[in-house]
Amino acid sequence: MRAHFSMKKELQQLEKDALASIKGSASYEELKDAEREFLGKKGALTGLLKGLKDKSIEEKKSFGKAANEVKKRLEGTFEARNKQIEREQIDAAIENDWLDLTAPGTQQATGNIHPLYQVQKEVERIFQEMGFTVVDGPEVESEYYNFEGLNIPAHHPARDMQDTFFIDKPSHKEEGRLVLRTHTSPNQVRAMRKYGAPLRIVVPGRVFRNEALDASHEHTFDQVEGFMIDTHISIAHLKGVMQEFLSRLFHKEMKVRFRPGYFPFVEPGIELDMSCVFCSGKGCKVCKKTGWIEFMGCGMIHPKVLESGGVDPKKYQGWAFGFGLTRLVMMLYGINDIRYLTSGDLRINKQF
Amino acid sequence: MDISLNWIKDFVDLPSKLSAQELGELLTRHTAEVEGVKDLKKSYENMVLGKVTSLKKHPDADKLKLAKVDIGQSKDVQIVCGGQNLEEGMLVAVALPGSKVRWHGEGELVELKETKIRGEKSFGMICAGEEIGLETDNPKGASEVRIKDLSHLKAKAGTPLHKALHKDDVVLDIDNKSLTHRPDLWGHYGIAREFSAILEKPLKTLKEELKYKEGKRSARPKAQIKNDELCPRFSMAIVKGVKVGPSPQWMQSRLEAAGMNPINNIVDITNYVMLELGQPMHAYDRQVVGSDELIVRCAKKGEKLTALDEQEYTLHPEDPIVCNKKDEPLGIAGIKGGLKSGINADTNELILEAANWDKVMVRKASARIGLRTDASQRFEKGLDPSMTELAIQRALNLIQQLCPEAEVVSPIVTTGKWKAKTLKINLNAASVISKIGMDIPKTEMKRILKALDFKVSGSGEKLTVEVPSHRATGDVSLEEDLVEEIARIHGYDKIPAILPDLPIKLPHENEESFHKHTAREIMAHQLGFTELMNYSFYSKERLEKCGLSEEGHFKILNYLSEDQTHMRTSLTPNILAKISENSREFANMRVFEIGRNYKDTGNYMPTEQKWLVAAVVQKGEAFYEAKGAMQAFLAAFRTPKPQFKVAKTKLPYAHPKKSLGVLVRGQEIGQVFTVHPGVLKAFDIEQDVAIFALHFNALVEAGRPKVSFKEPAKFPGMEMDISVLVEERKTVEELKKAIQKSDKSNIIQSIRLFDTYSGKGIPDGQKSLSFRMELQHPERTLTDEEFTVAQEAIFLALEQIGATIRGKGN
Repeated sequence: MRAHFSMKKELQQLEKDALASIKGSASYEELKDAEREFLGKKGALTGLLKGLKDKSIEEKKSFGKAANEVKKRLEGTFEARNKQIEREQIDAAIENDWLDLTAPGTQQATGNIHPLYQVQKEVERIFQEMGFTVVDGPEVESEYYNFEGLNIPAHHPARDMQDTFFIDKPSHKEEGRLVLRTHTSPNQVRAMRKYGAPLRIVVPGRVFRNEALDASHEHTFDQVEGFMIDTHISIAHLKGVMQEFLSRLFHKEMKVRFRPGYFPFVEPGIELDMSCVFCSGKGCKVCKKTGWIEFMGCGMIHPKVLESGGVDPKKYQGWAFGFGLTRLVMMLYGINDIRYLTSGDLRINKQF
Repeated sequence: MDISLNWIKDFVDLPSKLSAQELGELLTRHTAEVEGVKDLKKSYENMVLGKVTSLKKHPDADKLKLAKVDIGQSKDVQIVCGGQNLEEGMLVAVALPGSKVRWHGEGELVELKETKIRGEKSFGMICAGEEIGLETDNPKGASEVRIKDLSHLKAKAGTPLHKALHKDDVVLDIDNKSLTHRPDLWGHYGIAREFSAILEKPLKTLKEELKYKEGKRSARPKAQIKNDELCPRFSMAIVKGVKVGPSPQWMQSRLEAAGMNPINNIVDITNYVMLELGQPMHAYDRQVVGSDELIVRCAKKGEKLTALDEQEYTLHPEDPIVCNKKDEPLGIAGIKGGLKSGINADTNELILEAANWDKVMVRKASARIGLRTDASQRFEKGLDPSMTELAIQRALNLIQQLCPEAEVVSPIVTTGKWKAKTLKINLNAASVISKIGMDIPKTEMKRILKALDFKVSGSGEKLTVEVPSHRATGDVSLEEDLVEEIARIHGYDKIPAILPDLPIKLPHENEESFHKHTAREIMAHQLGFTELMNYSFYSKERLEKCGLSEEGHFKILNYLSEDQTHMRTSLTPNILAKISENSREFANMRVFEIGRNYKDTGNYMPTEQKWLVAAVVQKGEAFYEAKGAMQAFLAAFRTPKPQFKVAKTKLPYAHPKKSLGVLVRGQEIGQVFTVHPGVLKAFDIEQDVAIFALHFNALVEAGRPKVSFKEPAKFPGMEMDISVLVEERKTVEELKKAIQKSDKSNIIQSIRLFDTYSGKGIPDGQKSLSFRMELQHPERTLTDEEFTVAQEAIFLALEQIGATIRGKGN
């Protein structure tokens, strides 16, 4: 029994020594040597087991079990230390690595979407979330859709307000001459004819005015037309929808105010001002100290326009609006000259 | 249009607690846009009317005088002055220290200080007209310097100058555009009516203003209207004993405030009536006209008239004119009077005319002649025909005020087919509330309409509204028009912002509009192209540079400039122009545009198509860059099985040997091509440019196939690399087909060209192509033997079409 007792003690001592040796190994070689010394074929543990030869089966069993456990534990520790040394060596090896972190990353192709279409997408998204359908229509338009159908008969003074480009083509009996559409409004009639009422539509698109070019006037620019028709749609709803639209577009609470305005295709006709995005209505240079920025024309769709679109004005009513998308883009990005947008100067287009 | 607040106050009491600014704001919010508010007295601060009490020579300057001036204070002040017309007893404009004047009418305003001139004290200055914004008496180059003689003013020395000059007025500048539909607002009385409704203050009726005394009748004017449509109403009267001279200061000041120059008392009166009532008038010299009968007709072809602006106008057969009995033209009706029969210094008998002209005919004539006047601007809007008589009455009243000796020797004679009609509109109160979206009491609706001179009858929900004649010429005819009146006067500010309570209804799908944004995302953010936005038109020169013919183009009739005459049938010409402009700054570019072209296909309307056009600009062959970008685009856009074949459509600006068509379901929907070197030269582009152009509508219509999921192979595949030498013009396609054909056991999963080489080490006229194949058996691991068999078959197939396998043993 005593001998057995002392063997167990020796086993304990062996484990202790082995652990110290593992811990003390600073390299693979030292660790390998230690492994061989304690666990190798001719190692200390094997030596200790040799002393079991003369012992009883029970003692063999009991000691053998204990020795095996020690062996497993040590093997695990050797493995762990091995990984640790591996990492220590990598860490040491990269200690002297150096990279010029200020040098540029590998060039990737990057492109840019024109700011007008970035804003157009956002405008479409907001209206679509409110259940509006996005449509478009022809840019070369007939006089009928551009004027008569919108309650602007020939020789109406309102035709002065929109200098028109005409196409060099003979006139059509019913549709009149061909023009470059001066506004997106022809799509009111087109959409009513196509979809009928009730209706919620927005029409972004390019329009043309025969106007001399300067910093704030272009002959080509973009508008967004919108209209909502149902049995009970009111001016109050126009205020509500536009306030919501603008607040979402500018990511802040926006106010709108109405003033009387005149557009033959709406009655009442309204000019809509929005609270100044730059000073939140306190008064600044952009809003000329008024706190308000002129934003768009709108109003209740004229019964004659509803009739042009085949919608019964006795049953349905609704509003329409049209704002300058180009002007909105200029305001959003602080672009001071409208000509920059079509300049195609990549030093400009690549900023967006 | 300029509106004098003093003038408005003749007809309605404006609350003194409201500033001019606030009054302007009210008008903007309820009626029409006020663009500016001008306080006329601001320019006359610290200026008074002075009376020269004594004059002495300046002891130390020949051209200067020392004036003692009574400025209404206990002691006269001394002012040094160089005005040669200065006299004792004269009333003058004195600018006191602290006031701001414009020296000699030039430069910026300068603030005056008490000063000494050549040793003599000067308390301010005596002003010339141009120094304080009045008419000058010093024409350019005159040797004399004249100060403004104000002796005609009936005011005491010391009176603030703005009062003495009747400049104590504030002017509202109203945007004419916002009055397009309101003929009734082209005179002060109309604006006063709006203030009356907005402020809930009574509007003074025109009673005193229309009174005049008729003298002994000795004449009876007559009008012969040859075209009833042209002139619905024509009123006339004859006045004798008129003395032409300047009109009094109060009238001049009113006219000036409203933006008109005073001319003489008679012309000023006609203008005054127009500015007050909105009805233009004309006064003829009766003796020059030579008859009391006037003829109204359309001009004859080639007929000429010299108008008051001393310009000779050649008239068109539809231009309206007024003639005397001899049928000699006296004026262009509704636009401008003639020079000959106009009022001059010797005029003492007048024929007064106030007529109503057809708005369209005046508008057309004015546009044709190129003359837009205060009168034509008003007639174009459609004036109330009932105003003609009122205007004559008002003019007679003013003539008798200004020329007490003048005698009205005829009755007012009115000719014309026009008859007063009553226009009644049924108004449903519930419908008003539904359209405005808020509850407005019926009493308020009635109040507003009545304040605007509408007559309202009926009770309950249904009201009957009679439109006053001044709103009945087209402006108000429907219930909706009355809704506007109620909404704006009640106040748009009071309308709440409400989101409509609508059932959920999904928007109609618009694939094209959605995918335009998808395409932009792919082009810009995946493939690195920058978007351009070009005009829809170009010049003949530019389309010819691209080898396009003018045929098929829509031309603009009234183009703005020579480089914007034709509607584009392709996006390419304008893109090339922009590339050219940018090429100094950028050697390499990737740009694109999504836009429409417009083609004349023989129909009334053009065929408008949306195209995506992208260009790669670089040194050396750009074709493969463009082709690769297009393939990547088509893949990202999930275009169903695009195929490539030599282009069917020959584009004149494409390199004839470097144009590849893109087909979807057998239909060519676009091309990728290198731009023709001749076109590049014409655009002055030194780099190579390759373009891909896709018909966007067709692309969207082709749809996007559903992805069907395939499980990844469970068994490892093998790669095989083969390099071959082939004749230079052998195509990749041919070799790929040969490889594909050799694959009897269907184990080649993909063939990819990974290297092309010619030059050193390669025989002349040949090139080396390297392919990588992926081999795999669907159900098991491929054996070495199978691999070898496949390789042998490929070698054989390639050799059969003339390729030499590189690196093959022996």
